[in-house]
Amino acid sequence: MLAYTIRRILQSLLVLLVVGLVAFSMFRFVGDPIDNLLGQERTDADIERLREVLGLNDPFIVQYGNYLIGAFQGNLGISYRQGRPVAEILLERAPATLELAFVSGIIAVVLGIALGVYTAIRRDGILANVIMSASLIGVSLPTFLIGILLIYFFSVYLDLLPSFGRGQVVRIGGWSTGFLTSSGLKALILPSITLALFQMTLIMRLVRAEMLEVLRQDYIRFARARGLNERAVNFRHALKNTLVPVVTIIGMQFGSIIAFAIITETVFQWPGLGLLFINAIQFVDIPVMAAYLMMISVMFVFINLIVDMLYFAIDPRLRVDRSGAH
Amino acid sequence: MYRSHTAMALALGLMTVGAPFAQAEFFRWAGTTDPQTMDPHAVNSAPVLGFLNNVYEGLVRRDQNMVIEPALATAWEVIGDGEGWRFTLREGVKFHDGSDFTAEDVLFSYQRASNEASDTRSWFAPVSEVKVVDDYTVDILTAAPNPIFPDSIANWMMMDSGWAEANDTTLPDKETGNYATLNANGTGAFKVTAREPGLRTVLEPHADWWGEVEHNITQAEFTPIENPATAVAALLSGDVDMIDPVPIQDAARLGSNAAVNVIQGIEARVIMLGFPHQAEALKYAANAGDPNPFKDVRVRQAVGHAVNVPAILQTIMRNNAEPASQLVSAAMRGFSEPNNKRPDYDPEKAKALLTEAGYPDGFSFGFKCTNDRYLNDEAVCQAITGMLAQVGIMAELDAMPVRNYWPELREDNFDMYLLGWSPGTFDAEHPIRFLAATPNEAKKLGSWNFGGYSNARVDELLPQIQSEIDEASRQGMIDEVTQILAEERAYVPLYIQPLVWGTQANIEVTQRPDNFFILRWVTVN
Repeated sequence: MLAYTIRRILQSLLVLLVVGLVAFSMFRFVGDPIDNLLGQERTDADIERLREVLGLNDPFIVQYGNYLIGAFQGNLGISYRQGRPVAEILLERAPATLELAFVSGIIAVVLGIALGVYTAIRRDGILANVIMSASLIGVSLPTFLIGILLIYFFSVYLDLLPSFGRGQVVRIGGWSTGFLTSSGLKALILPSITLALFQMTLIMRLVRAEMLEVLRQDYIRFARARGLNERAVNFRHALKNTLVPVVTIIGMQFGSIIAFAIITETVFQWPGLGLLFINAIQFVDIPVMAAYLMMISVMFVFINLIVDMLYFAIDPRLRVDRSGAH
Repeated sequence: MYRSHTAMALALGLMTVGAPFAQAEFFRWAGTTDPQTMDPHAVNSAPVLGFLNNVYEGLVRRDQNMVIEPALATAWEVIGDGEGWRFTLREGVKFHDGSDFTAEDVLFSYQRASNEASDTRSWFAPVSEVKVVDDYTVDILTAAPNPIFPDSIANWMMMDSGWAEANDTTLPDKETGNYATLNANGTGAFKVTAREPGLRTVLEPHADWWGEVEHNITQAEFTPIENPATAVAALLSGDVDMIDPVPIQDAARLGSNAAVNVIQGIEARVIMLGFPHQAEALKYAANAGDPNPFKDVRVRQAVGHAVNVPAILQTIMRNNAEPASQLVSAAMRGFSEPNNKRPDYDPEKAKALLTEAGYPDGFSFGFKCTNDRYLNDEAVCQAITGMLAQVGIMAELDAMPVRNYWPELREDNFDMYLLGWSPGTFDAEHPIRFLAATPNEAKKLGSWNFGGYSNARVDELLPQIQSEIDEASRQGMIDEVTQILAEERAYVPLYIQPLVWGTQANIEVTQRPDNFFILRWVTVN
């Protein structure tokens, strides 16, 4: 187990370094930050001077090397756009994204599992068929369109919910939370539904398929034969055994909720990391882009690691196979 | 334009004396770009200077018609035969932190804004020295007579020397930022009470402001909203009181909604086509490597006649823009009235000119264009591509984000390109200096003249225009340059970009052609 963990951590570090390398080799295609930093009346000399100061004339390998040296010393650089340390900006923006991802994750998991179980048990019911058809919308409509539709219906037409932003936030230490004010909670509703919709339909369809699979198994038949009630059969025996792949997917999906909150955050002007990243691309704010990409890859690698470990813990067969190999 | 009616607002206020009178007038507005710094000398860009015009003030400022009027200086006059300008400062002006504004602050602000670390340094290129005569008189000496100097410093904002020293921000630092990046202490009508970069900036009225208060705002909050559809939804749902800009395609729909007002005007920005004047060969498309046809004035004239500007304005700009005849709009100082005529749309004439130039069958070339810089820029370029095809010249359109665009143009990677120009000084001299003068790094001339257009007479007239005090002979020289540029078709001016704002029906605002949003002209009814 220990050897396995260490090997995985080393592999993860390698992945990180490669991600950084690819990111830095692509930055020069994103554009040139110089024109955003200098005004209309700049001269070629000004451009050259600033390029030199920012190290943009160096080959990307050198830029990457300098970045890594800084990063290992805990210095993620200074944002070109805001003129503030990148680490400070990331910490300031993280709560918004994490709270949004958390609420979306809960919505996706709870509703996804509940609807998945329901549609599996009542596979021929009218409501189940309606839900299945509706779920096609969730997987096929692009997020920005769903977001805009929700805004027009709930904000513009019904005037019930705010159209953008996080509402009033409360600062607790370094964390700004929208959970403690009514405007903050109201502001969470539309973006979290928008963000959750895809994951929710994914989980629902997965749970349904797994449930249908499991419900055909012999032990379910035997459980029924033993005279257990439907509830016990469906939830204690069937659902429990569908959860292993579902947990994996949920783990992976939580990562992508954070990573792909970009579009939802842009549509709702949600002041999180995704919006920060989009702005950074428009401005060619290389330090922010680099830090964001590294952070997201650290997160994915970390979640992968945890999921692998969970497998180890959940699935006894894995352990048996491993110890047998020694 | 849409001026607030102070008297009416006052009367309405008096009618509701009592509890509602004390009610806070909270004003929220949204724009696409967050000002990247609160430092008025660090970045010379419209979002920063426009926003900070509410917080900081210069010696002079512009009124709603862009005319210079007194601000922190009450009067100014030429010294001698044009050795410089003497400014008489306003007395009793207080900064937001309570300290007094004096001549020392002007000297300090000059040193700060003209330092190499400042993006505003080029404004002070003509200045040789700034002298404090007494507490309320300052002499700004120029190397040569400079008739438009007061016009050129409307955005030069005054910072308190004591505040800057106490907070260790005597020089701007845009690379790593300092105290003034996030905090502000001006003399303006509003002070910054909260600043969260990229999220929101809160302003409140400056109680000791020297001017007469015309607005009725007690607190204002600016939020950047990048997505245009979200901004429109925010306006329609009442979450914000004003948005800038309204997407052109939504303007008509919003205009028919009684709950909101759409306010339209003309910006200072002229959109034009530029050509390679020096390149020997074409660089793109089927004819790459062939001699550069755009060196022939007849080909450039043909382009001018082939582009149907009225059609572009009607379909793509939905009648919100105006055609442009020269590099500045009619609202700018030095606009050349005798040259107020743009090439007619005449495809037959264009074909005849091309035949005459030796291209009866046309040619192919590469056309560079932005897709996120100007209003509907890519659509305009597509339309132009189609119009040019009708006279036989085939443009291969390459539209890209502006962050990739300028490096391409600097590398001369174009056969024709789209450019928008907004003169920072609101004077016709500005585009001549940047777009028409022969590029010269040492003299800082022609730095945006990507095509390398060069005309000896234009180069000769430019310094004279810059130093001519007499209004009539100065205009005469500008007219001559404008005529040369039109005859040689150095550029094809297309149209002047429109300005479209949206507000709630109870809001009165004033729009200025530089697209600066001036909060002290806002009335919440």
